[in-house]
Amino acid sequence: MIRALVITHGDIGRELVRVTEMILGPTEGLTAMSNMGKSAIDITAEIKKWLESSPAADSERDQKLILLDDYGGSCATSAQLACGQDPETAVISGVNLAMLLGFVTWRDTGDFSDLVAKTVQKGREAIVQVGGR
Amino acid sequence: MPVVLARIDDRLIHGQVTVGWSEQLQPDRILLANNAIAADPWQIKVYSSTVPPGIRVSILSVAKAAACLVDPENSSERVLLLTGSPEEMAELVRIGIPVGEVNVGGLHFSAGKKEMLSFVYVDRQDLRAFARLLEMGAHLSAQQVPGGREHPLDQAQIQQMGENF
Repeated sequence: MIRALVITHGDIGRELVRVTEMILGPTEGLTAMSNMGKSAIDITAEIKKWLESSPAADSERDQKLILLDDYGGSCATSAQLACGQDPETAVISGVNLAMLLGFVTWRDTGDFSDLVAKTVQKGREAIVQVGGR
Repeated sequence: MPVVLARIDDRLIHGQVTVGWSEQLQPDRILLANNAIAADPWQIKVYSSTVPPGIRVSILSVAKAAACLVDPENSSERVLLLTGSPEEMAELVRIGIPVGEVNVGGLHFSAGKKEMLSFVYVDRQDLRAFARLLEMGAHLSAQQVPGGREHPLDQAQIQQMGENF
């Protein structure tokens, strides 16, 4: 199972995870983290702790996806510093509900790189003008 | 180099700086003075990548940052100067960088630190550096973002935290 960590400002991540589980049911390996009240060093340390936490028993490889709310903020910097060049971890920004729903639905099928690309694509497709003028 | 903002912020280059203050002050360059990051090319790359296009960025050791700031050759650029701790800012001012106002933007909680303001947690070392900055004639003001409330910090408040220097 591919794990995911949603890192955001405020409580955005916690709510996104809560709503994802409201729609798809209880979901293993989906964790939210907030940067609230934390220095860059502490955010980085907390991400490292999650990266190193033991993977689910059925996993052959501990592949991980980090989803961020904003590119260029403290969450994004800390995520990159925590992951380094780890080939088993991908970091993407712009997290939205559609991305999380897609990720959880597809994560047991296919290749990790494809999953990351599909998750990004899903997030982009979800941003549309739906009405009004 | 005229310093348009000298800021102490343990999140270093992040949204409040690259969006909040930079939109308001339009600096030509963000200069981060930090010995550990300046010595690590990967960290330099990560932090530099978060600066919006149109703003140049330098990440230098504290000593090199000070040299750069006092060099008359660089006089035309408007600089947003950042350090991650009060001590590093005090060191820059001691070396002689031209700073009157120091913005205390964010010092987050960690073990051993006490709350001074909701976004400023300090230990004895931080308070000593604040006291040194005041002694050297700097004005200290805690403020997270432009338009946010300003909290001037003076000797009396350092004493209130139970420290006397």
